[in-house]
Amino acid sequence: MSTSSTSSVIGASVTRVDGRLKVTGAARYAVDHPIENVAYGYGVSSTIANGKITQIDTSAAERMPGVLAILHHGNTDPLFRTAGPLQPNSRPSESRPPFEDDVVYYYGQFVALVVANTFEQAQDAAFHVKVTYDEKKPLVHLDDVPAPAGPPVKNYTRGKADEAFESAPVKIDETYITPVETHNPMEMHGTIAVWNGDKVTLYETSQGVMNHQGVMSEMLGVPLDRVQVISPFCGSGFGGKLFPWPHSLLAAMAARRLDRPVKVSVPRALMFTTVGHRPLTRQRVRLGATPDGKLTAIIHDVLNHTSHTDDIMENCTEPTPLLYSCPNVAAAQRLVKLNVGTPTPMRGPGACPGLFALESALDELAVKMKIDPLDLRLRNYAEIDESEGHPFSSKHLREAYQAGAERFGWSKRTPGIGSMRKGDEILGWGVGTATWSAGRGAAEVRVRLMADGTARASSATQDIGTGTYTVFAQVVSDKTGIPVERIEVVLGDSSLPPGPTSGGSTATASVLPAISAASTAAIEALLKASVRADQSPFKGADPATLAMTAGRVHVKEKSPETGIPFEQILKMSRLAALEGNGKSVPSHEAHKVTAQSFGAHFVEVAWDPGIARLRVSRVLSVFDVGRVINQKTARNQILGAVVMGIGMGMFEETIYDPRNGKPINNNFADYIVSTNADIPELDCIFLDYPDSAMGEYGARGIGEIGLTGVAPAMAMATYHATGVRVRELPIRIEKLMQRGMA
Amino acid sequence: MKKQPDPSKKEDTEQAEKPVFGRFSRRSFLSQLGAAGVAATTAPLAHAATPAVDPAQSENPAGVPGAVPVTLRVNGKEHQLMLEPRVTLLDALRENLAMPGTKKGCDHGQCGACTVHINGRRVNSCLSFAVMHQLDEITTIEGLANGGELHPVQQAFLQHDGFQCGYCTPGQIMSGAALLKEPIGPTDDDVRIAMSGNICRCGAYTNIVAAVQQARGRRA
Repeated sequence: MSTSSTSSVIGASVTRVDGRLKVTGAARYAVDHPIENVAYGYGVSSTIANGKITQIDTSAAERMPGVLAILHHGNTDPLFRTAGPLQPNSRPSESRPPFEDDVVYYYGQFVALVVANTFEQAQDAAFHVKVTYDEKKPLVHLDDVPAPAGPPVKNYTRGKADEAFESAPVKIDETYITPVETHNPMEMHGTIAVWNGDKVTLYETSQGVMNHQGVMSEMLGVPLDRVQVISPFCGSGFGGKLFPWPHSLLAAMAARRLDRPVKVSVPRALMFTTVGHRPLTRQRVRLGATPDGKLTAIIHDVLNHTSHTDDIMENCTEPTPLLYSCPNVAAAQRLVKLNVGTPTPMRGPGACPGLFALESALDELAVKMKIDPLDLRLRNYAEIDESEGHPFSSKHLREAYQAGAERFGWSKRTPGIGSMRKGDEILGWGVGTATWSAGRGAAEVRVRLMADGTARASSATQDIGTGTYTVFAQVVSDKTGIPVERIEVVLGDSSLPPGPTSGGSTATASVLPAISAASTAAIEALLKASVRADQSPFKGADPATLAMTAGRVHVKEKSPETGIPFEQILKMSRLAALEGNGKSVPSHEAHKVTAQSFGAHFVEVAWDPGIARLRVSRVLSVFDVGRVINQKTARNQILGAVVMGIGMGMFEETIYDPRNGKPINNNFADYIVSTNADIPELDCIFLDYPDSAMGEYGARGIGEIGLTGVAPAMAMATYHATGVRVRELPIRIEKLMQRGMA
Repeated sequence: MKKQPDPSKKEDTEQAEKPVFGRFSRRSFLSQLGAAGVAATTAPLAHAATPAVDPAQSENPAGVPGAVPVTLRVNGKEHQLMLEPRVTLLDALRENLAMPGTKKGCDHGQCGACTVHINGRRVNSCLSFAVMHQLDEITTIEGLANGGELHPVQQAFLQHDGFQCGYCTPGQIMSGAALLKEPIGPTDDDVRIAMSGNICRCGAYTNIVAAVQQARGRRA
């Protein structure tokens, strides 16, 4: 176990350094930025899901007040495609640029953009653009198309899974379905594009300003240094804002055409069509086991839909080969193209729906074998990563199960359906294993020590609500001893040193070593200056004998109080500041270990059969995610993921109208997400074991994992309470009323 | 009760044909906002206080046909605007008064991100037209703090981490602040129900309840 000598600021409950801006309304999100002379773009979107545009009649709209331009495929030069893997930072969400041709691939695809002097004028005129189509029947559900032939897009095997399953004494063979889910961050996607000569500045809401810059450069056909992406605050993304979407290009295209700044905000209804979703998955899981509950075969076959423009695999089988010990595993994934927008990763991509199937199947096995579901997991505990034959770098899942069971009171669980009651309600208890891989990417950070006694840290990454600003300040404070409140953090600007995308729970792990290295480099420069300045008490000393502690330069052997504040060295040297740069490089793969996070959710549901009401009444989550850098923000993030998990379990489902491919519940009244009243007392425990494979601070990242495992635990608890096994999310009361009325 | 402007008056028609915001320069209220913004936020982050637009350039030179004079009292200051009657209070605040602290999350009254106070009561500003609120006392998130001193609900949200991305936060806080005067029960469940008009997709509800209860004096 790594025990680096970190100060108390690491792992503390530090209040967000950007918190005051957020509670006063001063934080500026994408379309908040005040831009002079801005015009407003409003999209016209397709009302069919499959076909061709035959005519776009703009005559009425053009005559409306304030309308400046109406752009569509017939009157714009085509944009470009990206080189994809040939170039870094080259991933768009839809490979097809908007307005590339007259083809409509999905309902709610941009077919024109109206630009006007005011928002109201643009919106009004957009509804007066008449588009006619040559419409073909849309296919929007897996059931509409035959199962795909040909080899799977992903195939994993070890051992002889088919034979092992066939010969297994105990078998489970069930199919599970997770519906289309829509990210629905509170901040709708939006862009303000401002051209200044041949340079474009894009005010964005982005999880990856560097990738956004790269993609816009390629698709607009301008050099990289002529594109700046600014996203100081992101009203969350959950994956939906990882890669650029068409509206961003439309804003830039319109602003270039008009030589005037253009603001385009994606209305909530189009948040269901043109900015991604988690695709529907259909997953057949076959488990074989010995009579004492030891897994002998896992066969996991996954089908998910994708769009006609892009192949996006929902990697449900990612955890399958490593979550449990089993000699024979087969996992395959297939795709089906439908007339829907391009799917995109949504929080816990792959693992979330994948674990709904795998964990549900395991519970069915537990029920069939009359084994406690927690006990069954312990009987099949994976001591090593059997998919790679590697040890795990730091795995404490057994302790997570045990700590959770103890605090939750799991030993009081009685297995009989409906056997646990509280007043009029029947209680059900379930447990779900959570997991997510840990990784880190390249990052560069600059740290600046300034003569006014403050520090500044900067990087072209971004804080999407996870607390990245605060992590930066904590690490700089840890290294320099400068208090957090005197450290300015600058993120969300592609002109800064290149930083990582906020995705896949990797941002924190990626930036930590770079912030540390940059701080150390700045301190080294300061110590060298300390021995050069004429007035310095350290003049002529060996810088290696000096240190910076508590914001003061001092002789290493002596206490910080004997030294002087660092800013005095800068003043004596007549320097405004000294800077240090730091890099981190992609991670632990060389170590021949698997860095993986684990956890367990313990869920209680309460079923009131008299009024057919199901609610989640208690959740306890225990996590082994490496070192926790900030208890306050980490806890918030895990509890927030459980809130989203309750939504995934009971509410969320995007439903397409089979006639025209329209998401019929394309708003917050009909696409239900968890509200405050849906959420009971939640609690979480961090085991807090630093993972040395992740470097100095040993943090593995926590963004995704909290959502994995919640929905299957809810389905188990629901079965325990009602006797109804729900294999298709969400768990709706009508599904329970089939035979759940006691 | 409200003094409504008479659209039939000649001066109003003339106003409509002139550049917008004719009677009250955008520069003056932007500069006021700038001063308030600096006081309220000693910004630790570089992008917090983006420079204000050049007001002379921001006015629409063509004017907005159909605009009528509208007087709004926002955070204790009176603003005279020329707005089309179809401009929502939310868009008037954000796009015409350069006060983007109030957020648009759905534009359908379904999420609560746009919550402001009108005469002390919480209202979804996206569901209300600006012209309906002449001479009403409108309070937005920008006006909730007393100078540099945060409102107790703002302070409690900060302390309890009642947000992650922060986008729903202005609406949550305005709801929480209005709720202090509402006749709801004392329990956490009462707060959960009373705060359920404000969606937080990051799911910071546990901390939001703790923050509101602290501001109500129900929790340390």
